[in-house]
Amino acid sequence: MNKTIIININGTVFHIEEDAYEVLKNYMTDVKRHFADAEDSLEITTDIENRIAEMFTEILAAEAKQVIVTADVTKVISQMGTVEDFETSAADPDNIYTAHQNFTGNRKLFRDPDDHLISGVCAGIGNYFDIDTVWVRLAFGLAFVLWGSGLLLYIILWIIVPKAVTRADKMAMKGEKLDLQGFKKNFEEELKTVQHSVRNAHTAARPFVYQFRDFISDFFHHLRLFIGGAGRLFLKFFGVVILLMCLGFIIASIVGFICLLVYGNDVYHVFPFSVLNYGYSNILYVGAFALVFIPLLAIALLTIRVIFNGNALGRSTAYTMLIIWVCALSLVVYYSAKITGQFRDEASFSQTINIKPTKNNVYHLTLNDVKYLTREDSLQMDINGKFNGRIILDDRRDNDMMPRNVSIDIERSDVKQVVLVESFSAKGAQYDSALKNAQNSIYNFSQRDSVLTFDRRLLLPKGSLWRDQQVELTLKVPYGVTLIIDEDLANMMRRGINLWDCKQQNHTPDAQTAPFIMTNDGLQCKVDTLSQAQAIIEPDAK
Amino acid sequence: MIVENTQTQMRKGILEYCILSIISKGETYASDIIADLKKARLLVVEGTLYPLLTRLKNNGLLSYNWVESTSGPPRKYYVLSPEGRAVLEQLDTTWAELSFAVQTALEGRNHINLTKKDI
Repeated sequence: MNKTIIININGTVFHIEEDAYEVLKNYMTDVKRHFADAEDSLEITTDIENRIAEMFTEILAAEAKQVIVTADVTKVISQMGTVEDFETSAADPDNIYTAHQNFTGNRKLFRDPDDHLISGVCAGIGNYFDIDTVWVRLAFGLAFVLWGSGLLLYIILWIIVPKAVTRADKMAMKGEKLDLQGFKKNFEEELKTVQHSVRNAHTAARPFVYQFRDFISDFFHHLRLFIGGAGRLFLKFFGVVILLMCLGFIIASIVGFICLLVYGNDVYHVFPFSVLNYGYSNILYVGAFALVFIPLLAIALLTIRVIFNGNALGRSTAYTMLIIWVCALSLVVYYSAKITGQFRDEASFSQTINIKPTKNNVYHLTLNDVKYLTREDSLQMDINGKFNGRIILDDRRDNDMMPRNVSIDIERSDVKQVVLVESFSAKGAQYDSALKNAQNSIYNFSQRDSVLTFDRRLLLPKGSLWRDQQVELTLKVPYGVTLIIDEDLANMMRRGINLWDCKQQNHTPDAQTAPFIMTNDGLQCKVDTLSQAQAIIEPDAK
Repeated sequence: MIVENTQTQMRKGILEYCILSIISKGETYASDIIADLKKARLLVVEGTLYPLLTRLKNNGLLSYNWVESTSGPPRKYYVLSPEGRAVLEQLDTTWAELSFAVQTALEGRNHINLTKKDI
């Protein structure tokens, strides 16, 4: 039993076996290519086709059968003559210019359909120059990576260079080895042929438009093959990477979620968590977890389904996941809105502290290194017993997530008295709750002789929520007062008080402090003489 | 290469002359021409004939009529145009001259060959 195909040769219909059809098709392609450059290629090939149709009819009638088999096609071809016969008989010397098919051992540039990665351009070039295809591919790949020029060249070659369809083509493609002169001559011929076919784009048997259309269909055909073959491998690799990433994130989110549930009570006063109202936190954690976890899971399952053809995600499961995700989203949005509402109003108040005067009008501004401990903390850790006489240092990295909430400014005052104005502010749902939040925050400032010690940050009493509590400190000093500012305070300073510049001016870039003096134009760097430099060192020596 | 080229040129001219002669007998179908040429051992395969016919037609030496066929598509029957007839007459003269020239030129050589063989 054989499969038959119905073909139509110039209006006559034949049943032909598949194998026989392949032979016939290859033969006609050869013939068409042979006469492609002749003036009347269409007429000649039509004559030949008509004659073939006639011979088929005669054969079918003579043998009283209905289907053409390979033997019939072979018989017809032997009578009509192969392309090689056309060549050797040289009946028509005009055909000499049909350089496509002279079998003098010269190689022809064809795309190789037997050894292709994409469309066989590289393999064809490799055949033509008799070099390993790998190097050609490598060169194209490199050219593509470097400037993308490889891709353009590749597409142009794809369009221009014909595919080796028939046995004759493939023989020509892999012809004898070329010497250098032969190659040059052959290349020129090849170039001429290409020029010729481009020039005759409108009149040639295969107009350029058709060539382009063929290219498009060829392109998608090869794209499919590529995805089915080498591309499939890339895709799988890509899929594994996605899966691993998803898995990593999933594990991270689960671990984070569990940690929050277990240790949530210990971290609620640490900044990002102190935003959340205590009652909301757990439900928000669950919501946020679902919000992150479900898309990750969905991506992982989809990857499995698409790339590995697994049926990992059922329709009902997908809907359930979507519904849970939407619920989680609305939960998070609802509570976020609720919390945002607690930042609606703002309140602030200020208080003034008088600074005791010093003899030479010099003040040292330093940062408090000592960790502030509440009374409960002290009792709990038994500070007085264990750390008596010792100082617990403040860890600078501690709670660095918290937005900066202390700023220091230095202004000129008209009165002799040096004062520190502390201006507290905070937010709340209403004014009174905002004010209460501001009042609850604690700021520690102390003076010992000429040393003014500032705390790094505003303290919130345990259990209170972060409501953007801030304190703005303004040190008001009269004309002529010298301030020696510690480097540690540098990033708390407002408005261009640049300690680094000042240290450069004093040629003491490594010093811990920088001296400033209040002038009529405001605070300015005090460029020191030697004696004053010693005066700075003195308090440090104490 | 030179030999091949000479052969090709000779055969080409003779082939065209023969085709014109065959067609001059009356309306002729391509396969009839082929049959005659095969008998004369000038041409082996049919495919070679069609480009030749097309070229002769394009040069105005031939014309053709479509004739319905019982077996397959309509056939092209070729006839000589008046111009083709004139060319054929010229070629007849040329061939007579050539034939005479060749025969005369070869006479002596054939004789030598024969005599050598005989000895």
